[in-house]
Amino acid sequence: MGALATTPAVEARGLVRRFGERVALDGLDLAVPEGICFGLLGPNGAGKTTAIGILTTLLRPSAGSARLCGHDVVAERDAVRRAVGLVFQESTLDPELTPREHLELYARLYHLARPRERARELLELVGLAADADRPARELSGGLRRRLEIGRGLLHHPRVLFLDEPTLGLDVVARAAIWEHLRALRRSGETTLFLTTHHLEEADALCDELAILDRGRAVAAGRPEALKAALGGDVVRLRLERDLGAQARLEAVEGVRRVAREDGAEEIAFRVTLPDGPRRLPALLEAGRACGVIEVAMSRPSLEHVFLHHTGHRFADAEEPAQEQSG
Amino acid sequence: MSALAADALTMFQREILRYRRDRAYWLGQIAFPLAFVGAIGFGLDRVVVLPSGLGYASHLASGVLALLVGSGAVGSGFSLIEDRESGFLRALWIAPVSRASLVLGKLLARLTVSLALVGVLVALLGLVTPVRLAHPLALLVAVASLTAIFSALGIALATRLRRLESFRTLAAGVTVPLYLGSGIFYPLATLSLPVRVLAYANPLTWGVDLLRFGVLGVHELPLALGAGVLLALACLATLLAIAAFDRGAL
Repeated sequence: MGALATTPAVEARGLVRRFGERVALDGLDLAVPEGICFGLLGPNGAGKTTAIGILTTLLRPSAGSARLCGHDVVAERDAVRRAVGLVFQESTLDPELTPREHLELYARLYHLARPRERARELLELVGLAADADRPARELSGGLRRRLEIGRGLLHHPRVLFLDEPTLGLDVVARAAIWEHLRALRRSGETTLFLTTHHLEEADALCDELAILDRGRAVAAGRPEALKAALGGDVVRLRLERDLGAQARLEAVEGVRRVAREDGAEEIAFRVTLPDGPRRLPALLEAGRACGVIEVAMSRPSLEHVFLHHTGHRFADAEEPAQEQSG
Repeated sequence: MSALAADALTMFQREILRYRRDRAYWLGQIAFPLAFVGAIGFGLDRVVVLPSGLGYASHLASGVLALLVGSGAVGSGFSLIEDRESGFLRALWIAPVSRASLVLGKLLARLTVSLALVGVLVALLGLVTPVRLAHPLALLVAVASLTAIFSALGIALATRLRRLESFRTLAAGVTVPLYLGSGIFYPLATLSLPVRVLAYANPLTWGVDLLRFGVLGVHELPLALGAGVLLALACLATLLAIAAFDRGAL
């Protein structure tokens, strides 16, 4: 397994896809190690679904190349199709068939050894055993999505692609899907590759991310690293008097930047520093001589990362991302 | 068993599951021919005298069976559009299923349903008309061929149309003239020569004639020629349906 373990689950180089005049993907590079949950994060129209289409052989790239578990998506289409499972963004269920019938049908189409047993295993895995014999049209959106995920996993794919797995679901159903995906991730059998335009989802589920904007990956890495790269947390201190507060705060270990808020009648400083919660006591100590009236901390989120890298207008002037961009 | 045959069988089972669950469909498909024969067949039975001496109700009863088989088969195309609209087809393509096996599965299921319907209707119509299982093999060849030919027609239309409404309208526009010029409603012998020539070019004419022989023992056209033409057309239609489906952007 030594050599196999080093083969990335997904590897893309310079993927381009044009639809007539429109360029949906404009030179996408990706490297996804095996066994992780990978997220392709981007706004609607960024090219996420197109990327999944190419990686699962449903679309041909206009230029560039991609390999799935070592198999070329154009030259080795059948091998790629055996290696991947796909959960589409839209429903692909027959409304008249039950979950059990769906899974048995696909188990047969995949020529699995024991279709009935395999279907039963998947019903258990995605928590549909109690609803196994109701027609799909009677199922809620969350249950239907779980059936689609079960279908995607039937043939033991090495990579499961999920295109916006919680799109259109309510909060409770979304949480249930997240729980199932986390459990899958823990089992370690399948690499998960999901697309989302839901920042919280990417943060909650993904070990690694690529941020996609207008067909290109503008940033990639672990969510924590992407956030840390923005400079860290921002602590806002409101003080009674100045008394050289700027220098006192700058002297605290780890502080990257101290800025006095201008225009306000009150005396307030914004301190950017990594690992804010651990350094907060030292900051308070440094500000004590100036009389700390109020303290607030904000942590960077993926939203800041996203806005920072895509260059869109930042949503909130109070957020640390703006400090960094200034 | 080859993968194609195994997949076709799986798709066949799925179609049968759907048909079995649809009770309203079976009721409608059985009630319509009975009502048709009851109202029009017996209504005209005393008025219309056929050259063959056959009662009009019997003539119509056998014709309606062919109508049922043909229109049911065109519905295969309808179900294909439904499958596309529900998204079901998308997931099939990622599971490596050949389009041929899907078409064959639908054909086979349609044939099974048509045979079941014809069986029930022959028994019911047999209570009030001379309709019976006169020549089962001829009946089987007629039903199978008509199923293949009209399914192919429906599938070819479905691959070119996006909307259910356009499918319904166009399917009716294509099939109603075929039904009317086929010997379902009137014997070929009563038609004028130009119309009769048109009728000979209509595959349904040959199907109706063979089917009528199957359930009544009477026919107007050469049987062996009819069966040969129908089987050849059925094979050709099946291949065309698979080809049309392969090219169609589904």
